[in-house]
Amino acid sequence: MKNKKKASSFLRALKKEAPLTPGYIALTAWSILTILIIGWMFCASLSTTPEIFSGKVGTFSSGLHFENYAKAWSSQNVSKIFINSLGYTLVSCTALIFVCAPAAYALSRFKFFACKFIQSGLVSAMAVPVAMIILPLFCVIAQLGLVDNGIKNRLVLIYLYIGINVPYTTIFLMAFFSNLSGEYEDAAAIDGCSQSKTFWKIMFPLAQPGIITVTIFNFNKIWNEYFLSLIFANSDSMRPVAVGLFSMINSMKYTGDWSGLFAAVAIVTLPTLVLYILLSERIIAGVTAGGVKG
Amino acid sequence: MKRNKKTLIAFLLPAMIFFTTVFVYPVIRTALMSLYEIDNVTAKVSQWRFSGIENYIKLMNTPVFHSALWNLLKIWLIGGVAVMGLSLFLAVVLSSGVKGKKVFRAILYFPNIVSAVALAVMWQQYVYSSKFGLLKPLADFFGWQWLDPDHKFAAMLIAYCFGMVGYHMLIFLSGIERIGQQYFEAATIDGANRFKQFLFITLPLLRGVFKTNITMWSVSSIGFFVWSQLFAGTGVAIEASLITPLAYLYNQTFSNTDVVVERNAGVGAAVGVVMAVLVVIVFWITSKLIPDDDIEF
Repeated sequence: MKNKKKASSFLRALKKEAPLTPGYIALTAWSILTILIIGWMFCASLSTTPEIFSGKVGTFSSGLHFENYAKAWSSQNVSKIFINSLGYTLVSCTALIFVCAPAAYALSRFKFFACKFIQSGLVSAMAVPVAMIILPLFCVIAQLGLVDNGIKNRLVLIYLYIGINVPYTTIFLMAFFSNLSGEYEDAAAIDGCSQSKTFWKIMFPLAQPGIITVTIFNFNKIWNEYFLSLIFANSDSMRPVAVGLFSMINSMKYTGDWSGLFAAVAIVTLPTLVLYILLSERIIAGVTAGGVKG
Repeated sequence: MKRNKKTLIAFLLPAMIFFTTVFVYPVIRTALMSLYEIDNVTAKVSQWRFSGIENYIKLMNTPVFHSALWNLLKIWLIGGVAVMGLSLFLAVVLSSGVKGKKVFRAILYFPNIVSAVALAVMWQQYVYSSKFGLLKPLADFFGWQWLDPDHKFAAMLIAYCFGMVGYHMLIFLSGIERIGQQYFEAATIDGANRFKQFLFITLPLLRGVFKTNITMWSVSSIGFFVWSQLFAGTGVAIEASLITPLAYLYNQTFSNTDVVVERNAGVGAAVGVVMAVLVVIVFWITSKLIPDDDIEF
């Protein structure tokens, strides 16, 4: 009796799911393709170069070669580009919050003469092609002699990473602040709290969910940034991961260490991958939350 | 709220400094530069020679720039239609009540968090490999190789689009999920099948979402660069079959290969202006073709 009931509910479920079959096939096919491509890279990073080129990735006939990672980390500059990127990204993301959160708050709460003007300026900036700004940036930075000096070069990169993401971060946080109720501020004002204290002590902590989401996006973008780094990170020791990988690929025809390259790719993908695994729900919600209103 | 000028300025100033130095000033200066003949990017303003629209004329007479514009159009149009179609399809499927929606959604968006450099390496070394590639059977069937000069562009475009689908799918998905269930229920009662419901309810109500997606797609196409450089191979200038306007600007101004003849930075600035104008034109056309949503839902 029980079994029969189970079977009939199974049949009902099957009947309900049956029209969705083509959908399942499409989704599964697309997912498998994604996993294959990225999974192959991880498998290749654990194989030897001859194995990779004989198409034996994934069979692991000579065992798992974790030493590829150690080798890539120490000998292939990977530690350098990884630490560079980590530094650039952490500093830029932190600075972006302290630069953009107050501005976003001011734009969403204060009524003033240029408010609408600044807002539309920021929105249009998100669509400005990088080709429209790159030449003057290069000119000014070169004239100030900032491209060939160690620490200054790093600061220039960080400055640009911040600047390029100011419009997006501000607009994102603005949408967030406009959704916060004004009651807290009214209460704080009655108690005699100054505006800037109200912001830092009350509104800034309240905006934490938005700040975290936008920081994950900034982290991803800055970690993987390519064009500006290609032009402004002049020496090997300055390069962030994307450009560092590119120069590693360039030298592949001399070194031929493909398994090391894939280990390097895996290492530099790791931080964003970990963030994604931990916070994918939040990231996915953030894509559509106001980040794309422009 | 009480006006407090000091606080206002303190709150806005840092962001405005970044905004002005990285966007406002460079945009104005690029626009001006495009009207001058400038021997070197770093030349002082006093060394600029006014040449009117000379740079634009020069650009329009440059065959490589024609290829760049043509490639950009192909990326935007062919890639755009493919990406919009696929991502709309996957979004509709995901919103149709399938199980494991969250897992599928997370996998589909996944390529967006991986660096384009890493993705391009995987596609070239694995998917397009002429020895053991995932898509080798397809190439064998047609009797070509994915990375030969004739098919490199298509290979690059497929790889690029594959990575973009997840992002646009999410935007479509959130649009579909905002449509009230009551429309579909009413349509079901009236006897409309799923396909009709999609055609007459989902699509019309997704107008605004289409506009967002087309805008985002256009902005990312205009900045198409890293895929060109990676598919061009190493240590060489990006060839005409893969070049885009941004890659052309890069070759022209920053690359240290010998292929570049013309070093006039004014022409480079003109490339920037042409691209900015293209973005504006696309915005204008989409907002004319797709009027703002007058339906609330």
